[in-house]
Formats: sequence, C-alpha cells, structure tokens
Amino acid sequence: MKQFLLAGAGISLALAAAPSGAQDSANPVAPSAQGDVSVTIYNNNLALVQDVRNLPIAQGISRIEFPDVSAQIRAETLSFAAPGAAIIEQNFDYDLLSPDKLMEKAVGQVVTIVRTNPATGAETREQARVLAVNGGVVLQIGNRIEVLRDDGLPVRVIFDKVPPNLRAKPTLSVKVDSDRAGTRPASIRYLTPGLGWNADYVALFDSKAGRIDVQGWVTLTNTSGTTYTNANTLLVAGAVNQNGGGVRPYESIRRPYAPPPPPSMIRAGTESANRERLGDFYLYPISGRTTIATNQTKQVSFLDVQGVAAQATYEFTNGWLSGNDEPQSAASVVKFSTSKQGGLGDALPAGTVRFYMKDAGGAPQFIGENGIGHTPMGSSLALKTGDAFDVKVKAVVEQRQRLGDAKWRTTMRYELTNAKPEAVTVDLVQSGLDWWWADTRITAESLKSERKDANATVWHVPVAANGSATVTATFETRY
Amino acid sequence: MRAALASLFALVSAPALAQSVVMSGAPVSTSVTVYRDMGRGDGAMNPSWLNGYALISEKRRVSLPVGESVVRFEGVADGMIAVSAVVSGLPGGVEEKNRDARLLSPASLLDGSLGNRVHIRRTNPATGKVSEGDAIIRSGSGGAVVLQTQEGVEALRCSGLPESLVYDAVPEGLSAKPTFSVHTTTPQATTAEVTLTYLATGFDWSAAYVAKVAEDGKTLDLSAWLTVANGNGADYQGTQLLAVAGKPNQTSDFRALGAKPEALSLALQCWPMDGTSTYPGWGLQTPPPPPPPSPVMYEMAVSAPAPMLARMDKAGSIVAQQEDLGDLKLYRVPVPVDVVPNGQKQVRLLNRASVPFTRLYTATVSPWESRPSQPIGIKLRMQNKAKDGLGLPLPSGGVVVMQRRGEAELLLADSSLADKAVGEKVEIDAGQSDQVRLAQELTVNTANERRISLILTNGTDQPAPVEISLDIGGWLVSSSSSKLAAKGTNKLWSVTVPANRTAQLVYALRNPH
Repeated sequence: MKQFLLAGAGISLALAAAPSGAQDSANPVAPSAQGDVSVTIYNNNLALVQDVRNLPIAQGISRIEFPDVSAQIRAETLSFAAPGAAIIEQNFDYDLLSPDKLMEKAVGQVVTIVRTNPATGAETREQARVLAVNGGVVLQIGNRIEVLRDDGLPVRVIFDKVPPNLRAKPTLSVKVDSDRAGTRPASIRYLTPGLGWNADYVALFDSKAGRIDVQGWVTLTNTSGTTYTNANTLLVAGAVNQNGGGVRPYESIRRPYAPPPPPSMIRAGTESANRERLGDFYLYPISGRTTIATNQTKQVSFLDVQGVAAQATYEFTNGWLSGNDEPQSAASVVKFSTSKQGGLGDALPAGTVRFYMKDAGGAPQFIGENGIGHTPMGSSLALKTGDAFDVKVKAVVEQRQRLGDAKWRTTMRYELTNAKPEAVTVDLVQSGLDWWWADTRITAESLKSERKDANATVWHVPVAANGSATVTATFETRY
Repeated sequence: MRAALASLFALVSAPALAQSVVMSGAPVSTSVTVYRDMGRGDGAMNPSWLNGYALISEKRRVSLPVGESVVRFEGVADGMIAVSAVVSGLPGGVEEKNRDARLLSPASLLDGSLGNRVHIRRTNPATGKVSEGDAIIRSGSGGAVVLQTQEGVEALRCSGLPESLVYDAVPEGLSAKPTFSVHTTTPQATTAEVTLTYLATGFDWSAAYVAKVAEDGKTLDLSAWLTVANGNGADYQGTQLLAVAGKPNQTSDFRALGAKPEALSLALQCWPMDGTSTYPGWGLQTPPPPPPPSPVMYEMAVSAPAPMLARMDKAGSIVAQQEDLGDLKLYRVPVPVDVVPNGQKQVRLLNRASVPFTRLYTATVSPWESRPSQPIGIKLRMQNKAKDGLGLPLPSGGVVVMQRRGEAELLLADSSLADKAVGEKVEIDAGQSDQVRLAQELTVNTANERRISLILTNGTDQPAPVEISLDIGGWLVSSSSSKLAAKGTNKLWSVTVPANRTAQLVYALRNPH
C-alpha cells in the first residue's frame, strides 16, 4: 500500500514537471497533451484535425495513448504517422471509471473497509473480499458473509488501485513497432463531428439613402467536447460528401440547425473572389493561431464593406385561383449585389444576414433577418426582411367563366394600399400559371405585365403615398 | 509537490500573458427593444410561454491598455443570441468575439479539476472531528466521483459519512454569469464607452386593447396598453424601453441560438446499494419529485386585467410614442422604466375617445348541406381614418369589449386584432347573436347543380346589417335572387334585415367540370 502511494506520487510529480510527455491518460495532470494542431472545418458539422506531437517512442512494440483528442472522434478515420514506426493496431476505449465499475471489477479481490462507530466515532479497519455485485455488494470478512452497509451504518470501502482499462475519458491508443528508440514528431489525423461554422452578417440598411454597410463574421461552434489549443484554423465554404459516418461511441452528435438555402439569389454571379480555393470550395483561413474552447461560440471578422448600393422593394405573390378576405402585407425585400462593381465584392459563405436600421434617435434597431446560401461574387440578392405594416394587397377572384371543354376565363382584381408617407412600387406576382398545361394567356390587363417565367407573371405597380392602386387582369387558361 | 504544481500553473497561464484581460464596467445605460413572437399569431401573448425576443443595447465603460486585449462583458442576458452581437466604440475595432458557455457550478468545478489535486474533508458524526486529506479526482463528472487518496481508491459519498471536496482554485474559463468577450488591439491606452448590442430570447409584447361601447351603441372609446413581458434573468433598471410592431423575418432558430449556457448538474451515483431488507426493490418508496416551481408568470397574467381596468378612468399621462422604422412600427416609451426579470410591464399605447362604429352580423357558409337556424357572429366595424376618430397604426393584440350600462360595465367579448395600417377597415369580433339567425336549405342537390335558399331572421327591434360569405369552392353561380359581390375566392351577400323581419337569398351553383 505504502509502496503504491509513493509510486503514484512519483508519477504525478514527474508528469507535472514534464507536461509535454504526459501520455498516461490515467494521470492527466497536464493542461493539454496536444501538439501542433491544425483544424479544417467544413460547413456540415465535420472537421479534419491534424495534431503533430513530440512523442518518445521505445524500440520494438509499444503502446502509445493519445489523450485530448476530440471526445466525438470518428476513431475509424484515424491515421498515425511517425518516422521509423509502423502501426500494428489502433484502439479506442471508452470504458469509463465510476464507483459501480470500480466495485464490479473488484469482484474476487480484497478491499479495505473502515467502519465508524456512530456513538463513539471510533474507526475499525478490516480486510474484505468482494464476492458479488448484483443489486448489492456481498462481502466475505474472515469467515463471515455480509452485505455491505446492510445496517445503514457508515462504511468506507478503500480499493488498492484503479483497475486497468477504466479511464476518466475515452482514450485513443495505437500499438506501434519502432525500429529505434527516441523522441520524434508523430502526427495523428482524424475526422470529428461537433465542429462547425457558418457566416453571420450584420447589415446596417439606410433605406432613404439606398445604402447598406455589411460586416461579415465567421462563427465557429465547438460541441466536440474538447478544446483545441493554439490551432491553425482553416474554414472551407462547402459541404463535403458524407456517407456512413461510422460508429459514434461517445455522446450523440448535436447537429446545428441548418435551413435549406432559401431562394434569395436572383442571379448567380460569375466573378471570382480574391480568396484561396480548394477545388470549387473557397477557403477562409483565420489569421494567427486561435484556441477553440469547448462549448464556445467564436466569431472572427472576415468582411467589412461600407456604403454599398441597396434598394428597399416590395413583393406580393398570389397563388392561382386564390384570394384573401382581409388585405395581406406585402414582403419588404432588400436588393443588393455581391459584385466587385457597386456591390460587396466578395464571395459570401452561407449564413444569416441580420438587417438593422437606425431609429429616429439614431440607435440601430433590428428589422429582420434572412438566410443566404454560398453565394458567388457578382450575384444579385433579394432578401425578404419582413412583412410591410403599411403596404398591403387584397386579391379577389372577380369572375370565373367556362368558355369550352378545357377553356376558362378568370378575372382577377388586386387592390394595393400604401399607408406610408412616400410612394412605393410593389412587384405583384401572380403565380401558378403553368398548372396542368402551360397554355395561359392574359387577354386583358389594366397595367402591362412582364412574364417572369412559365409559371408567373409580374406587374410593377406604383402606389402613391397614402394612396391605393387597383390592377385587374383577365386570364384564359385550360383550367 | 506544491512547487511542481505552481510551476505547472505558470505553464498553463503563460500564453495568456500576451493579452491583457479587461473587465468592462456594469452597463451605464441600456435600451431594450422588444419584438413579438411571430409564431403565436395575432392577439394577446401567453406570459408563461414567451417566445419573442428583444434587441438589447448596453453602454459600458472600458479602460483599455495599449496593445492586444480581451474585453470581457459579464452579466449579459442569459438568452443572448451571441452570433447577433455587435460591439461598437472600441478604437481598435473587434477582431474576434467569443461567448463561453461554461458556467461555474459544482459539476464544472469537478470536471475542470479532473486529474488535479483536491482535498477531501470528512466529519466524524460522533465526535465532530474534521479530518482533511489530499485526493486526485480520477473520474469525470458523468456519473460519480472516484478519488485516489493516500489510503487507496475510494468513491465519493458512498460510505454514508459526511464527505466533501475542497478545491484550491477555480479552473480557468469558468465564469459565474454568462460572459461575452471580444479581442481588440488598442493603439493607445484610453477609456472608451463601448456599446454592446445583441438579440436575446425570452421576451414578448402585445397590445392590450379595451373597447368601451357607449350606452347609445354608436361610438366606443378605444384604449390600449403596451404590455411587455421579460422571462429572462436579466434586470434592466432605468432602461429605454421600445417595442416593434410588424413582422420582421426570422429564419434562424432563436431558441437554439439563445439556449441558456450549460450548467451541468451533478448527480452522484454509487455502486449498487441493495441490502437484505430492501429486496424486492419495490418495497422501497422513492420520494415524490419536488413540485414544479409556482407559475409566477401565470398568476401575473390572471391578475393583470384587474389593475388595468381600475386605472382605465384616469388616462395615463405617459403614452408610448410611435415612429416608423422602415416598414415596421416602433413604439418608444418616453421615460426610463425598469424591466425586471420574470415581470410584465404595461405602458399606455394609445387612447381614442368616441370612435364611431357600425355593428354588423357576419357568417361564412358552405353550400354543401342544409343547416337549421343558427346564431351568427357580431362584428364592430371601424374605419382606421382620422376623420373616423382613428387614423393611426394599430398593432395586433387582444381586445376586451365592454358595454357601459348605467354605472356598471358588462363584458361583451374577449377577442383579438391583427396589425391594421392607417386607412384599413378594422373589425372586432364581439360574440354571437341569438336574435339574428341564419338557416340554409338545399332544394336541389345533384352532382352538377345545387340550388340553395338562405333565410335570415332578425329578432331585434333594430334593422340588422348582415354580410354572409358564401364559400362556393370553385363552383359557378348560375343564378341569384340578389347581387353577389366577390370577396377573396368567396361570394358575398350583403343585406340589411329590417327590425323583426326576415330576408331571403335564393341562388344556384353549377359544377365547373
């Protein structure tokens, strides 16, 4: 017992003095066993971690443990490389130390029990053999058989040591065959879920001046259960294909909420941004090394553009043969470009754009948000920020007439109202025109329309300040 | 050993020396702009389920040293949506923003001390003697604690003795309150006034209207309170309070983004503890779980209308001021107010006396089956125009309709109102009438043709204006005894039924196919 104690203290002393060599995960006194860490993070909750550690490797066959890898490591993706060492096997052990495991592994062994007399406080020590741990603990003390704490009185149980293969944290280890002894850089590389990133944009919109200031931030989230210290971090704007995904022995993965890319891009750009690329993916490196702490949300600036032209517009879409009893708000839409000329001048990684506008007192107030997909430079964006309180549309199916077997005449009336003190233009869209057969004609209309596509037509309706406007149209359809 | 630990500590904290950590002062002034929950539809909010949000802006003073520094903002709202945070006023700008979700708690203290030296303190239950010894934590916080002591390996609190862990220091990176920090580089040492603006969940607001119908039944007094609820732990004393009406778009999951920082709970487990007298296991009664915390917010909701009605007669002198914010409406409370945790606050929103209205009766019927005589709904219709006594944006909220009757007031209806712009028609549901009724009879009912007769009866001694919406579902009207107007996809029959008389509509529909 004494000997063990001394040895234990010796180990922790040695470890404390040389934390870089701390490879014994049973004594993880060191702050972090990570070496030179590089993290490449993809958008779809996946990261590639490379970690180069200086390890003393003995000659011949030896076992090396890697503490401080991701707690969600996909162990089957691990690759290990060290000069002069060949890998024999890889293990990932997640049998965790707990009191019941400790007791179960002690079956058949001798433990020390300490009884405290509740009246006098006197302690008595005895040696006991653990016979079984099934629902309760059955002990053999001398030639008596007892159930542990059957009388409810205090009994301490002292075990000699922590059983092998029980750990505080899941532990990754490899068995290697080295042709020589010595310390050398050994690199491990693995995939892990739990690390992800997306972009968040702060857009300060001035609708009167028709300008927008945009700041872009990349947001890193780390739910992998491990801190990556001083990591060289690279962000890849794109989702790599993911099949299978392997077994997840520890912690279920938390997928960040990912909405489908909204149809906000009205024209895809054809310009190339001045950024590093990997295949078709843009790369966003983070300058300098950064520590990504566990459960941390970290944001790093990557874009800051002032005074880009932007327009406030209104849009209302009516479905085919539908109308509304009460006037409905038109959508407030902000349009701007990501082009080098007159735009933001960058490729935008997918994320959320939050719009702010200054109130009468000059303080910025939130006016709505929208998501964008990965957006090439030179694209035109139209982002809905919300519903307009003062601009409303009432659609009425005025008349339906049957002209023949598959020929119908439908008269629609749209009433637009504007309670704002300035004139607005509403893009009024009638959709659903290629329903069944794409043979739809507009035979009469009070304002010239523009056919958007086979399915929809659009009127650009000017509505005077504090005024209203009415559009009527007659459609001939096969339904 | 202590020397070794000290040198180890120096090693850990060494990289942090390059940047100085600056704590910001408490907020000097704050502003809270509350947004409604877009998912709950129109009408009043539910104070026990607050899913709206607020834009919080805090001005704080920071003393910045020259060079790189980390500025920590402690005590941000616990529903903070960190990704929405904007920091302005730092001379060197912001390079990086961090939100640490690790709070100091018994479990995080234990987890952060894994592998470190702690002390175990035992008290002898008979003599009261306290003994303390060193220990190393060998297991994580998931489940239970295994300690290595000078005597061997033990599990914490399995012996039945009073045992406790004592720590030397708080592990790094654990904070008492939710904390937000930014990295900045300052060209020269200065004291800056920094504005931190962010969205936070756990707020909501709605308008609470009271419509008091005059005794003559021709006008009503419409007043409204701006009701703001704060379900957050954050306390804003003397804050600038604002509210936004309208529907800002929301695409990200605010609830997930603003999730409260993780405060791990510590559940100590031991090895199996069955004794000979506890078998079978069901012989032991487990104590019932503690009752849920009392629903404070709910009680507030129930009691809210009473003081509101009591205060109705003396019109509040403070009225929220309305301004346009792009396509939204912003209401500004003109004086500083306190927004306290788990509280609800009401400020007068608007007040209009003697608004003329018409009382009409409405119903929507489908022509697919005969219906016996049934009561139909009452609506109070106003025009939101200045010449009709209104003419101001009306944000959505709940409406309580009262009728004055001598000295007393009677409750007519408890309904709701959607956002109404200036110039729109405003209709408030005011219950049902048993005196004005509608019956429908199908006289012809074939696959291709339907002939319907509608009969309205008026049991009151007043003429009753009625609007019946006919949900004809795409069929064509082939004939009708009265002219029908189009309303959305329906047809509308408008008629005034004379006092104590009836009115009839006969119309026919043809199958379009």
